[in-house]
Amino acid sequence: MIKPSLPVAAQSHRTRFGAEAKVASAVFVCLALFPLFVSGYIVYILPQYMIFGVLAMSLALLWGVTGILSFGQAGFFAIGGYAIGLMTNGSLPFGGLFLGLIAAVLLGYLVAALIGYFLFSAGVRDAYFVLVTLALSIVVEQLSVSQSQLTGGWNGMFIMRPTIDLGFTRIELFADIPVYYVILVVVGLIYTGLYAFTRSRYGKVLTGIRENEMRLVSLGVPAALHKTAAFALSGAVAALAGALYGLHSGFVSPSIGGVLFSTEVVVWVAIAGRSSLIGALLGGIIVSSLSNYLSAITPTYWQLALGLVFMVTIAFFRGGVAGTLERFVANRRSAQP
Amino acid sequence: MNQLLSVEKLTKRFQGLVANEDVSFSVAEGEIRSVIGPNGAGKTTFISMISGHLRPTEGRIFFRGADITSLKVQQRARLGIIRKFQTPSVFLGLTARENIELAVIAAGTPRGQRQTRLDEVLNLVRMTAFADREASVLSHGQRQWLEIGLLLGAKAQLLLLDEPTAGMTAEETHATGTLIRDLTQKLRLSAIIIEHDINFIRDLQAPITVLHLGKVFCEGSFEEVSSNTHVRNIYLGNE
Repeated sequence: MIKPSLPVAAQSHRTRFGAEAKVASAVFVCLALFPLFVSGYIVYILPQYMIFGVLAMSLALLWGVTGILSFGQAGFFAIGGYAIGLMTNGSLPFGGLFLGLIAAVLLGYLVAALIGYFLFSAGVRDAYFVLVTLALSIVVEQLSVSQSQLTGGWNGMFIMRPTIDLGFTRIELFADIPVYYVILVVVGLIYTGLYAFTRSRYGKVLTGIRENEMRLVSLGVPAALHKTAAFALSGAVAALAGALYGLHSGFVSPSIGGVLFSTEVVVWVAIAGRSSLIGALLGGIIVSSLSNYLSAITPTYWQLALGLVFMVTIAFFRGGVAGTLERFVANRRSAQP
Repeated sequence: MNQLLSVEKLTKRFQGLVANEDVSFSVAEGEIRSVIGPNGAGKTTFISMISGHLRPTEGRIFFRGADITSLKVQQRARLGIIRKFQTPSVFLGLTARENIELAVIAAGTPRGQRQTRLDEVLNLVRMTAFADREASVLSHGQRQWLEIGLLLGAKAQLLLLDEPTAGMTAEETHATGTLIRDLTQKLRLSAIIIEHDINFIRDLQAPITVLHLGKVFCEGSFEEVSSNTHVRNIYLGNE
């Protein structure tokens, strides 16, 4: 028999999954209670930040779980926004709210799957992949400018707030409170679905790709296909977020597909921590609302401030806020006898 | 004994350099074969051609009678030809249990059997006590065992072990030898083992192939090979 030759003190504690579920429940309960105490503009705007949180989760799935960075999330976001716009403003012979949402998700999924398939099966990775996703953002932005007969060009596209017909009842999405809760429920469902996915065997395989792709391939796993699937899912989620954004704000314009916005998404996720979905969701909500708030009080310096925070995070807190907290908790636990 | 793997006249050239030349070799089911040779003899190149990480310039590779020369790494792994790398290659950020779980998933084990299989493999490589430790805090030797566990979890039939005892203490090296012999006997697995540690090779009591300058220099039991003066010379550099 082999005797253990190492002291057992180096035991690492794994409480992450249970802890994440608790944090997530707390976050959603707080969000659900929020409109009972506050009213006005903030109840109108918070759903938009939640939608940005979904966009952040689409990146966390790719970057945090699978280890693939993308500067193309805004591209998919815009694809979703324009898809729902075209499907609900009567410019196409068919359409409707649900069909529009399905079209947005499918389009995001297919575009990502196509790009992913060709790049990953050809062995494109790391910085080269990032460059292609960067190009995607540029292409989407340029298309939304140049195809102005469809998209409205720089003038953007107006989207009607819909009425949800559930058969037995109709929810009119004009007042802030119903909109708030509908979006909260949708965001909750998306989070739950993604969380379940990361804990499934597909999610675990993606973690394996992040940790050691070569080892996984040498155990018989077709990693390129799994990466394609992860990118496609991420594109679908980002497009869904874009469609929700279009419906909520009533307006989409080329800038939501650009490199600048894609970079912002990366900043949110890096600061908040890409290791957990709930971290990314909170990051999307908090960092995006904070930068909106800062841009109102100090239009000249807020981007500088955000840039500094980003650099400090990258230099000293690689796991972002969530990762640092996680490590802090783990250390506290292992320090106790 | 049934032939599991056979290679015929494998040659690998890197531009001008001949890394392997005309190497023919075979392993039977449940058999261990060790491959030794001085640095630069072409041992790792040889194992890389079997695992699929390198394509041979010439020659064919057969597994259970089927030509697998053109199959990719992941396809060979699916057939059960799985390699352990020279420097332990595991999933460092995951626990030992999560490591093995990935291998079990890679083998396509049905959901209901995964847990049983996982515990079984942890037990086989004697990692049960460290199952919940992150691989990054395991000792070098434990990582080597964990990687052997990955091979088992992924249902390897032929273990390709590139220096499985590198960086181990004498005690760990001995234990590894016992482990490999146990595994091949209990599970009827075959193994090709590249090693430098001559005591380890002696303990294995497996047929030895000596590679020198990319060619098969001689083959035989430990006693035959170690009494061969030419082998002594190439190791001591007298030739």
